[in-house]
Amino acid sequence: MLTAADLAPRRSRRTVTNTAMTVLMALSVVAILVPLAAVLYTVVSKGASQLSPDFLTKDIPIVTRQKGPGIGPAIIGTVLITTVAAVMAVPVGILAAIYLNEYSAGSRLGKIVRFMATVMTGVPSVVMGLFVYVLYTLRFKQNAFGGSLALAFLMLPIIIRSTEEMLKLVPNNLREASAALGARRSRTILTVSLPAALPGVVSGCLLAIARAAGETAPILFVVGATNTVNANMFNGVNTALSAQIFTNAQQPFAGAQARAWGAAFTLLSLAFLVTLAARLITARFALKR
Amino acid sequence: MATVSLVAIVLVGLLGLTGCGDESGGGTDTLGGRLNGSGATFPKTFYEVAIYEFLKQHQATTITYSGGGSGKGRTDLQENVVDWAGSDGLVKDADRVKYKGGEFLYFPTVIAPITVAYNLSGISELNLSPATIAKIFQREVTAWDDPAIVAENPKVAAKLKGGITVAHRSDGSGTTENFTKFLEKAVGTNAGGAWKLKSGSTVDWPADTQAGNGNAGVSQIVKDTKGAVGYVDYSDAVATEMKFAAVANKTGAYVTPTLAGASAAVEGAKINDDLSYDPLWADGAASYPITAPTWILVYAKQGTATQAETLRSFLLYLLTDAQKLADSVDYAAIPASLAARAVTQLDRITAP
Amino acid sequence: MTGSTAPPAPFTGRVGRADAAFRYATIAAGLVVLVVLGAIAVTTVRRALPAFDLMGFRFLTSSRWDPNADQFGAKAFLYGSLVASAIALVIAVPVSIGIALFTTQVVPARWRRPIIYTVDLLAVVPSVVFGLWGILVFAKVVPGFYDNIASAVHPIPGLRSLFGSSHGRSYMTAGVILAVMITPIITSLAREVIDTCSPSDREGAYALGATRWEMICGVVLPHAKNGLVGAVMLGLGRAMGETIAVALVIGSANNISANLFASGDALPARIANEWGEAEGNWRAALIGLAVTLFAVTILVNLLAAFIVNRSTAKSQGAR
Repeated sequence: MLTAADLAPRRSRRTVTNTAMTVLMALSVVAILVPLAAVLYTVVSKGASQLSPDFLTKDIPIVTRQKGPGIGPAIIGTVLITTVAAVMAVPVGILAAIYLNEYSAGSRLGKIVRFMATVMTGVPSVVMGLFVYVLYTLRFKQNAFGGSLALAFLMLPIIIRSTEEMLKLVPNNLREASAALGARRSRTILTVSLPAALPGVVSGCLLAIARAAGETAPILFVVGATNTVNANMFNGVNTALSAQIFTNAQQPFAGAQARAWGAAFTLLSLAFLVTLAARLITARFALKR
Repeated sequence: MATVSLVAIVLVGLLGLTGCGDESGGGTDTLGGRLNGSGATFPKTFYEVAIYEFLKQHQATTITYSGGGSGKGRTDLQENVVDWAGSDGLVKDADRVKYKGGEFLYFPTVIAPITVAYNLSGISELNLSPATIAKIFQREVTAWDDPAIVAENPKVAAKLKGGITVAHRSDGSGTTENFTKFLEKAVGTNAGGAWKLKSGSTVDWPADTQAGNGNAGVSQIVKDTKGAVGYVDYSDAVATEMKFAAVANKTGAYVTPTLAGASAAVEGAKINDDLSYDPLWADGAASYPITAPTWILVYAKQGTATQAETLRSFLLYLLTDAQKLADSVDYAAIPASLAARAVTQLDRITAP
Repeated sequence: MTGSTAPPAPFTGRVGRADAAFRYATIAAGLVVLVVLGAIAVTTVRRALPAFDLMGFRFLTSSRWDPNADQFGAKAFLYGSLVASAIALVIAVPVSIGIALFTTQVVPARWRRPIIYTVDLLAVVPSVVFGLWGILVFAKVVPGFYDNIASAVHPIPGLRSLFGSSHGRSYMTAGVILAVMITPIITSLAREVIDTCSPSDREGAYALGATRWEMICGVVLPHAKNGLVGAVMLGLGRAMGETIAVALVIGSANNISANLFASGDALPARIANEWGEAEGNWRAALIGLAVTLFAVTILVNLLAAFIVNRSTAKSQGAR
């Protein structure tokens, strides 16, 4: 007669392997959380202590080995350069994605553009910095706008890809209903498809912006370095948080390294805030797959 | 330590208060203009302090110095990306045509020792002859307990152990140029210790060595790596509390790097018409053998009258008042006669 | 039915022109991608030509990099890029696939989102911050570990040359940091690919009495194989192109060594370090390094896109 004991699972080599593998998989999650925790812990413990109103607003000390604040010009530089880059990349990216999803419909040009956008996401940032240096900086000298150009080129393919994904999720019957009401194509896109996809599009753009704010190599080549705030995009060298972190990371002086940690904390906070905003928008408002 | 940083913070705070917004401050100061500079990291701290003090008196002016190595300074000046370049080395004759702004002038600014800094625990005094230094940097001597090093340091022989990690510059450096020129002069092409890598702002270092960006980068490597050795300017070495070797000079005496030793080395140096000179491997018992010069390069013809005036004013400050600041940041002032000659050369900076 | 059977007239006049203008605007936006990419290719190759002319094939086969003597051999940098990326893949691939499998197959749905969000946080950390942590914290503590590994494997001749004298700034340190940086990328792509596996196939395996691991091995992995390869290649492309974090921790040594704990250099790192002062042939050579890097990363990304597309097409059926 069958008893409960007969039906209970038995320990065998297969179940042992299964458990072992499950443990390994769990360990891989732990393994990746360790460096994440280590980096976050160091940045917060060494960087947060630097934060003060002075640190965020004062000019960068001229004497590198001096201790003390601030990195104000770098924050303004990062915000300026990234904002202008976004202003350039977002409209072009959204329009291109509209082309790919709404107009191209399997045409050869559409396939080529989509393919090239994928290729463009793989261009290393140093190559992009080099490209902008050769084409723009040699003629117009180092200034913040060159940095914005480079960042815009880096952001463009990411925005195109994510916007296209979001537009794909808009149900077709919405478009058909709009056409049935007599709206022309562009009006349908601008008043029906795009608004429906907007939260996802915005979230995708925010993520691209967070990525661009952290780019360093193009800034080093194309924007130069300065200690004081320069609000003029087209005239004179500028600086950004990422470049300041890079140069100060290679200094042996405690003062310079402390400013690097403070700048890293600031940059990381900015990136996290933008990412958090993007995720909240996606979770609350965006169309789901 | 805390009081030093507190004082520094207060000073910077005061700078902030005086620097922000008050464009008409400094009384009757009308010196405008913007001078961007780049180049040698050897004198960088001196220039930074001088700029800081100069800007306190001339608040309508902007002066920047971004470092990057002598090579970068010369390249930037060639392409007119900067107004002034710091360089520890002279421009090669073949390169003169590349300078788009025409004729340029050398202005000597400071002198300092190039130290051979090392990271060995428990050893505070190390003697090294040029021959041994050459062998170390060519990776012919790869461990601290090598007979060549032990022979020169019998007292600490027991504590010498471990492999040597060599640190040098990754960027085109006047410090590298002066260091390798010293080795060429001191060791030459004799057999046994011959320096085979020649001299220049970059050199074909052996493969298993490490490179750092700027003097600061090299000092960071030496400071963080046990058993490391590298050539670092005196000011950075002192500021990072590193230990440096006593190097045997021409008379055979082991001299620790000091500002006095640097000044002694410059005393006998011959000064050329263009104000270039060579204090490396100098005569004299008190001379430190690796004393390096450095210059600021500017074009004789400036673009506007404002630029010319600002440049002359800044260089005058560097050659006169700023010289008194030099030893507070561990640099030696140039001899008064050399400074005087440089001041007369200022008249050659003109505007259209 | 009476009445016109002609198709409705398209929009004409001002409205029609505005509509057409919008369409052309979107096409122009799409063309921007082609123009920029083409410009990058043309500009960089053209300006790298002086160096290629000077060195010929020795650009890639010589390891002598001496700008003063007009010698530009990039072999050491290519080697360093490949070695650091290989180390990164060896570490990141098992971890990424483990995380992807764990979140899709093991954990209850409630835990999926938090774990994925946390892993994706790694992608938000800028690479320069990883570099900063690497050079000021990680590179200082690892020589001890490296020494332990080196002495542990010392008896084994093959491994002895792989794990020799240790340096904080080395291929291994760069590889570990790269691994941390590419894991979120590989993980998210792997998750997507694994999710395309149909539940019925998986349940069928369970019905036959398979344990979860056996189901994964027998159903999920074979199904996702191509996509996983694509994801790995994308991670490789990212690892090879990563500039700043590698520049800070790889040691900047023009070195080719089997010792994974030795210092070396990588293509993008060398460009970033030397660009500021390079001119003439030297600058052309650095642009040549960029062209080499660009070519390699494009090849890798193309391969990845091709493989991933093939596998998703297979699972979604013919379009």
